[in-house]
Amino acid sequence: MEELKKKLEDILEVESVNAEDVLEDFDYWDSLAILSIISMASESYKKTFKAADIRECKTIGDLCKLILD
Amino acid sequence: MNLKFKNKKITGILTILPKKVRTFEDDMANYNFPEKKSLRLKKVMGYNTHRIAEPGQCSSDFCIHGLQYLFDHQLLDKDSIDALILVTQSPDYYMPATSNLIQGHFNMKHDMICLDINQGCAGFEIGLIQAFMLLDQEAINKVVLLNADVLSPKVSIHDRNSYPLAGDAAAITIVEKSNDAKDIFAAVKMDGTGAKALIIPAGGFRTPCTPETAIEHEDEAGNLRSLNHLTMQGDDVFNFVQREVPPMIHDLLERADMTSDDIDWYMFHQPNKFMLNKLADAIGVPYEKMPSNIVENFGNASGVTVPTCISYNLGEKLEQETYKMCLAGFGIGLTWSAILMEIGHLNFNKIIEY
Repeated sequence: MEELKKKLEDILEVESVNAEDVLEDFDYWDSLAILSIISMASESYKKTFKAADIRECKTIGDLCKLILD
Repeated sequence: MNLKFKNKKITGILTILPKKVRTFEDDMANYNFPEKKSLRLKKVMGYNTHRIAEPGQCSSDFCIHGLQYLFDHQLLDKDSIDALILVTQSPDYYMPATSNLIQGHFNMKHDMICLDINQGCAGFEIGLIQAFMLLDQEAINKVVLLNADVLSPKVSIHDRNSYPLAGDAAAITIVEKSNDAKDIFAAVKMDGTGAKALIIPAGGFRTPCTPETAIEHEDEAGNLRSLNHLTMQGDDVFNFVQREVPPMIHDLLERADMTSDDIDWYMFHQPNKFMLNKLADAIGVPYEKMPSNIVENFGNASGVTVPTCISYNLGEKLEQETYKMCLAGFGIGLTWSAILMEIGHLNFNKIIEY
């Protein structure tokens, strides 16, 4: 979980992320962030997602659950 | 599908680019995004300048300009051309074939074959494979492969997903018989279930252009485009390329009894720097061997990117040297294809402007 959070911090270019943070509120939340997450999940977690899967997540917690489950 | 060819070689490559340069900053005001976000996209994807045709300039114009240049400089003899293949998704007309128009413009001999092929991102590889097959005929000694696309008029200027990489260009590749060429290994695969991942929905016979199809709508990411514009499912294309291309390259190397280190250059289709670097990582190739600088300088002119990559990065050096190259194209169709061959000691390898 901590490792994934660190990767999300790098993608979103922030100091820290918390489970309850709303994705839409991040400055860099856009299609590029979504593609970067798809790429990271594929590389580090061997999981394939579509952009729509990522868009369904509202918070960092939702995103972590999607990627780690 | 695994293919193998003997006794064929490339003897010249000429890339023809539009003169007009647009910068990412020129385009940015048209996008529905804060500058800060767009500038991050520029950095990560490696967008910068791209070449756009003037209104009215069509695919055949770039091909004709390039062929005239070769005739004028005695680099190609008009009467020696036995086949003219044009790979394009932006023909001058629905009918007739644009390759026939080009043949007619130059009043070429009748004893030849003209062939238009509708392929995009893998258009260089598909065109080369077609050229190799034609050269198996006794009557065919020289094939001129034209790759041309002028698709910028079909990309919405309000689409940050596609416009930053829009680029127009053409390339002319001469393919001939040879007695001393090494074997050429090729692979091609297609998956039509993904045919709509890259599409211009309106303008063909299925959905003709109407005032309604010209109305721009906003997508979930904030881009505006109409049904007359090119649209791309970026996530589907990305996932498909990362899944399918690395194993195709590894299989091809194994068939040719080579390792990835044996290849001097990986000249790949150029969607963006991000995707190419991920591909290099997945295949296990250093970035220096897989140039990814075409989109940032010229844009992505579908099947023209691989010859542009060869002309831009190797230039005249390829007139003196020969390298083992792995060529690959992947995208619309869905089509993916790769070729392992030696290319070098060309009669010409350069870029001109039109």
